Amino acid sequence: MIEVEKLSKTYFTHRKAPGLKGSIRSLFRREKVVREAVRGVSFRIGEGEIVGLVGPNGAGKTTLVKMLAGIVHPTSGDARVLGYRPWERDNRLRRQVALIMGQKAQLWWDLPAGDSFLLLKDIYRIGEKDYRDSLALLTETLAVSHLLDIPLRRLSLGERMKMELVAALLHRPRVVYLDEPTIGLDVTAQHAIRDFILHYREQHRPAMILTSHYMEDIARLCKRIIVIRDGEFVFDGPLDRVVRQYAPDKVVTVHLDVGPDEPLPVIGPELPGRVVEAGRDRIRVEVPRERVTEVAQSLLERLPVADLTIEETEIGTVVERIFREKGAARP
Amino acid sequence: MTPRLFLSTFGIETRKLMSYRVDFWLSAVIGFVVHVAIAFFLWRAIFDASGSERVGGYDFESMVLYYVLVSLFGKVVRGPEFPSDVSQDIYEGGLSRYLVYPTNYFLFRYAQHLGNLAPALVQLALFGTLCPIVLAVPDGFAPGFGAIAGTAAALLVGNALHYLLMLPVQLVAFWADNVWSLAVMMRLVAMLLGGFLVPLSLFPGGAEEAARFLPFPYLFHFPVEIVMGRLSPLAWAEGMGIALAWCGVLALVSSAVWQRGKLVYSGVGI
Repeated sequence: MIEVEKLSKTYFTHRKAPGLKGSIRSLFRREKVVREAVRGVSFRIGEGEIVGLVGPNGAGKTTLVKMLAGIVHPTSGDARVLGYRPWERDNRLRRQVALIMGQKAQLWWDLPAGDSFLLLKDIYRIGEKDYRDSLALLTETLAVSHLLDIPLRRLSLGERMKMELVAALLHRPRVVYLDEPTIGLDVTAQHAIRDFILHYREQHRPAMILTSHYMEDIARLCKRIIVIRDGEFVFDGPLDRVVRQYAPDKVVTVHLDVGPDEPLPVIGPELPGRVVEAGRDRIRVEVPRERVTEVAQSLLERLPVADLTIEETEIGTVVERIFREKGAARP
Repeated sequence: MTPRLFLSTFGIETRKLMSYRVDFWLSAVIGFVVHVAIAFFLWRAIFDASGSERVGGYDFESMVLYYVLVSLFGKVVRGPEFPSDVSQDIYEGGLSRYLVYPTNYFLFRYAQHLGNLAPALVQLALFGTLCPIVLAVPDGFAPGFGAIAGTAAALLVGNALHYLLMLPVQLVAFWADNVWSLAVMMRLVAMLLGGFLVPLSLFPGGAEEAARFLPFPYLFHFPVEIVMGRLSPLAWAEGMGIALAWCGVLALVSSAVWQRGKLVYSGVGI
């Protein structure tokens, strides 16, 4: 559904020194700045796939999404979305694509969302029955049916984001770009939106690209991630593989049942793994994932354990490790 | 863009506008009253000082009527600050959403522009009814159906012409950091050469004749002259022809600028 071949984008801007002197100088001479936002990336995304695009600010995530959504022209390379070049803006493609931008409202601020949806119905030429069905399904799933006639500016951030989702998905797009869809939302709203996206994926099987700084979004929604830095891909593969590759350990945490007068428990040196915390109440050990069962059993036998948990390394930490390793490998 | 979408966009903008009711009525009254009051007292003083009955082919009542009409028609032709929305869209990245929608950006914006004409049309109806009661109407001013229909057509073309005249200037925002001063300059030129500030018959020598071949007179001066009965049907047809030709030229210029500009658009703000 999405095929990208050596896609690049270079921006040209001008630099202006701060202050009055800089302003006056810029009237006569401006220094040109060239920034390569995306450098020759290639990938494919199939039906029903949600791909997480991960990277620091300025890595090129949003520029890549903007090219695929047809907003900006690439400097070189090629891309096909449902067989069309997105920047040629063929209406047959645009009727099957949606872009959801968490940082940029798409709906009309002064109008109730219901009015905006009616306009979108005409923009996307949605039939009356399809419109009614889609609207009912989306607003009921997101629990916003009762807010349709309230001006958008009077809704909370979470409610507005849900309305943005409804607006973007009314026409049942086959390709969806989600740019920071949960940014600034509270935990409950984040959960609701993640569940909704998964539900939509199951129902309609679109190809989705998700960019987010919330690793919880990536971990919950994506089976595949692309890690991008300075416009280049540093990893593209299944999420579980990246976790195995860059997080070979799991963290075993035991909560201890030790009285105030009892001596601190001793962990033998033969225990595989690295003790990252050893307190009176809690011990945390990083253990190679293939030996987790053995270590957990050993800890249960040796220590007065009240509770025991086994956790994966956080995906954010995994991404940091990728950046560290790839950074070190660079000339 | 389908006619249905055009009408929906028109309707939604009108509704949006009505949601700010205080602003709606203030903008409807203040601008008009101030403009006409200034013209009234200024021209009263000029006529008194000159001691003549007519200036530039107008007697005092006709001159005041000219300003009443140019003020009301001007709002219909110019509409709200629409064209600056285009440069704002480019600067702030608002253009991005329109590029994602399967519709023509300019037609969509034009439908919004027309939707925003509601206050101007209300003013035209309201003050058009009130003015003959409050102000003295010149002898013989009684526009018939033909004059009203001709004026309506001229206003429609004038509106499109103004939109297309401002559009290339706004599209310069693809390259420049600020087009405000350019836009103000263009607006002032349009007001001066379009007969908004003074009737074109007051221009020196052959300037009025030369201005006929520019797009500007067809914004303000032309529709006022039609409704005041100062133009023959032939002059009307000729004027409409020139105005429509300019619409075509400016549409081509806008399209060329857009084709170049979209290549450098960076979709800032997202």
